[in-house]
Amino acid sequence: MRQHQSILEYKNGRYLKLALGLCALAIGAYFWQEPPTVYLKPYGGTELGYTLGIVGAVLILWLMLLGIRKRRYRSATGSLQGWTSAHVYIGTSLLVIVTLHTAFEFGWNVHTAAYVLMLLVIVSGFIGVYAYLRYPALMTANLGEEQVETIVQKIADLDRKCRRMALDLSDPVNAIVMKASRAGVREPRVRTSFRRRLAGDKVRCPTREACGALTRVGAKFTGEQAKLNQQLLTAMTQKSVMLDQLRRDRRYRAILEIWLVAHVPLSFALLAALIAHVVSVFYYW
Amino acid sequence: MDIQVTFVSVNQRGQPQRDQRRVSGTSFTVGRGSQCQIHLPDARVALNHAHIVVSETGAVIDAEPGRIQINGRESEGARLAAGDRIDIGPYTIQVDAAPPARPLALTVTLSSPRSRSVTRLVPRVLQRLPDLSKRRLSYLAFGGVLLIFLFLPILPDLLQGKPLPVRDSRRVMLNEVIPAVAGGFTQTWSPGPLSRSHQVFGHECRACHAFPFVQVRDLSCVACHKTIKEHVPAAELTGPRGVAFADTRCAECHRDHKGMQMTPRSEEQCADCHRDVKGAAPNARSENVTDFARDHPRFRLSLLDADHPKSIRRVRQATPPSAEMVEHSNLKFNHALHLDPGGVRDPEGRRDPAGMRDPQGRRTVLRCADCHQPDADGRLMVPISMERHCRQCHSLAFEPEVTKRQVPHGSEKEIVTMLREFYARLVLGDMPPDVNPPHDLPRMRPGAVLSYEERQRALKIADGKARQVLRELFETREVCSTCHDVSRKEDGAGWEVAPVRIAQVWMPQAVFAHAKHSTQACVTCHNVRNSKDAGDIAMPDIAKCRECHVGARPVRNKVTSDCATCHGFHAGRDYWLGTLQAQMQPRGAK
Repeated sequence: MRQHQSILEYKNGRYLKLALGLCALAIGAYFWQEPPTVYLKPYGGTELGYTLGIVGAVLILWLMLLGIRKRRYRSATGSLQGWTSAHVYIGTSLLVIVTLHTAFEFGWNVHTAAYVLMLLVIVSGFIGVYAYLRYPALMTANLGEEQVETIVQKIADLDRKCRRMALDLSDPVNAIVMKASRAGVREPRVRTSFRRRLAGDKVRCPTREACGALTRVGAKFTGEQAKLNQQLLTAMTQKSVMLDQLRRDRRYRAILEIWLVAHVPLSFALLAALIAHVVSVFYYW
Repeated sequence: MDIQVTFVSVNQRGQPQRDQRRVSGTSFTVGRGSQCQIHLPDARVALNHAHIVVSETGAVIDAEPGRIQINGRESEGARLAAGDRIDIGPYTIQVDAAPPARPLALTVTLSSPRSRSVTRLVPRVLQRLPDLSKRRLSYLAFGGVLLIFLFLPILPDLLQGKPLPVRDSRRVMLNEVIPAVAGGFTQTWSPGPLSRSHQVFGHECRACHAFPFVQVRDLSCVACHKTIKEHVPAAELTGPRGVAFADTRCAECHRDHKGMQMTPRSEEQCADCHRDVKGAAPNARSENVTDFARDHPRFRLSLLDADHPKSIRRVRQATPPSAEMVEHSNLKFNHALHLDPGGVRDPEGRRDPAGMRDPQGRRTVLRCADCHQPDADGRLMVPISMERHCRQCHSLAFEPEVTKRQVPHGSEKEIVTMLREFYARLVLGDMPPDVNPPHDLPRMRPGAVLSYEERQRALKIADGKARQVLRELFETREVCSTCHDVSRKEDGAGWEVAPVRIAQVWMPQAVFAHAKHSTQACVTCHNVRNSKDAGDIAMPDIAKCRECHVGARPVRNKVTSDCATCHGFHAGRDYWLGTLQAQMQPRGAK
């Protein structure tokens, strides 16, 4: 079986070549076809301008079809990997095609607004490509052969075990363990949750703090108490490591998701701006 | 060698069930993988969690650090003895006393089954970002952008000043505030700044874009630009290019929303037709040209003929000049004489350049500007007039020994009237103080009362004197004939002065501003120092222009000049509006 192939390398960069060809064609046309009309600088309303505009609009519509295609599991029109590869490369080629369509004329108007929205969509798409190339590997490396479900189970077991072990120890130790135990995997308000997820293991972890506290308290123990405390600390540390593992996993998942939360609504904003742009141009032709 | 493994599970009623199996071999893998001999099907157990090896000497377990606990303590490996307890994830494995012929007996119990509350946690951990539904955000973004950039901008035009179709309450809000706010959003449709002169009605899109989804029509342009003209006379708009050219919309050349200027200037655009102008339009009467420096033909002058006022001769400059290059103005004038460096006789005394008079000096040096003054916009010269420019020296005094009074310039009839009245007054004895009594007129005795007959006789004498002076003016004394062709009428009743016409513009198709050339002396271009005849034409040749001006391609120390430097595009005689209206008339209506 073939090794995993990234969408960028799909079919030996077939769509990269296609996109480069499109860009070269557009740039060539821009510089070879415009000079006869020296009395007017190139702009979106010349014959080439209209052509580039139509090509750009059709491509944008096609790119948005990926959202439909990826939900059609039974569809046989090309593989989804091919579609995604083409989506990335053709989408990037819009940077050239549409910029030539604007002929570098910008202002505070619907036309430039549509252009800026397109740039935002493309930039968010770049972030997505980066995320898809980077984070799945990190996720695998992070979890190893574990699964989220097992980690959660293990954390729950460790938690129970720690509480049981703490029963045999002094009250302060018991309090430390109970405090860490209550702060489980919680889902607070949206914004906080958002930030906490993206922070990954860079958050205040009650269990990690409890480990530190146990070390400090345990220094005073001797004999059997010290041994028990040491065992408790080991379990707490295991729990802390697993919690961090889980947080990193949630961070990666959040990143894989968040760019799309920008990309998709921005695409629809772009579609609306595109409609407004076309109507405005021809309404007052 | 077989070992005995007993799995203890709990049935639905909560009672323990024992499942005793024999497993053969000497090496056993413990793990959740199905290939494991001691299979522990729980996610918390690793695929291959631990190994148990059984030999003659006993059983040994080993595992990676931190994976197993033996009798409650972490261990990487240990020799197993009856009574040992091994913790593997949620399972507890008890080492039992071995029955006969079995080296090892194990009891496997699921000591901490998966808790349902923990299982319920999992989806929450894996939950997507809450409250950030892509679908809802997409609807919001799509609708918001459509509202701001499509609905609001188009609203004022759809309403056309009509009220919104709503109930009367909140009328002010809906009918005034909303359209006003929406009008501001309409500006977001403007692709760029309007030209300077169109900005005044910039908020009124329909002023130019009269119909939705229809390109701006010429009628919108000529609604204001009524006096704009065709490029050439309509008769010359022939041939493939000429006719196509007549169909060209104003906006093909004049694109607005492109900044302050919307007047194109381009050498190449003119040269498109003018490099082979007859090929473009066979009736064209100009010559081919692509660039002023390279191949501009010599100038054609438009010459007037005073005797044929309706005709204009267009004569091209040449070396030597063609015989036709003569101005027929019916005027006598000697530039050389007037510009004599020694000065001209001045009856009122010498003038210095500041206009001060010196009665002792008798000669004044004239400069060009004494007669040729630029007009208000600095382009042309004010026409020469007898009253303002000639009369100071060329007096029309009719009898200098008697009076300094002069006859009026222009009309013979007025001169006759004036002379008759003047002499009648003298004859009738009313002598003005500025008059020396002439010797050849009878003088009245002061206080005499004339009879009717005496008065008639006296007036007859005055008439005779007036006729005599008139003849002197027109014929013998060279007053009129200094400048004019004067001849006696065929019927003998008076004289005829040939009509005078002096050209004001010799090159009407070129725009020339004298004010812009004020750094140059007049004679640099108009050399009249040696011209003794009014028929001489002193218009500069193209070579003179090229001393300073080059074509569209810049040259060091020269003035870059494209077609539009001198020529306007809309230079035809017919109005663009007129052609448009003719085109719009139904077929055959003409």
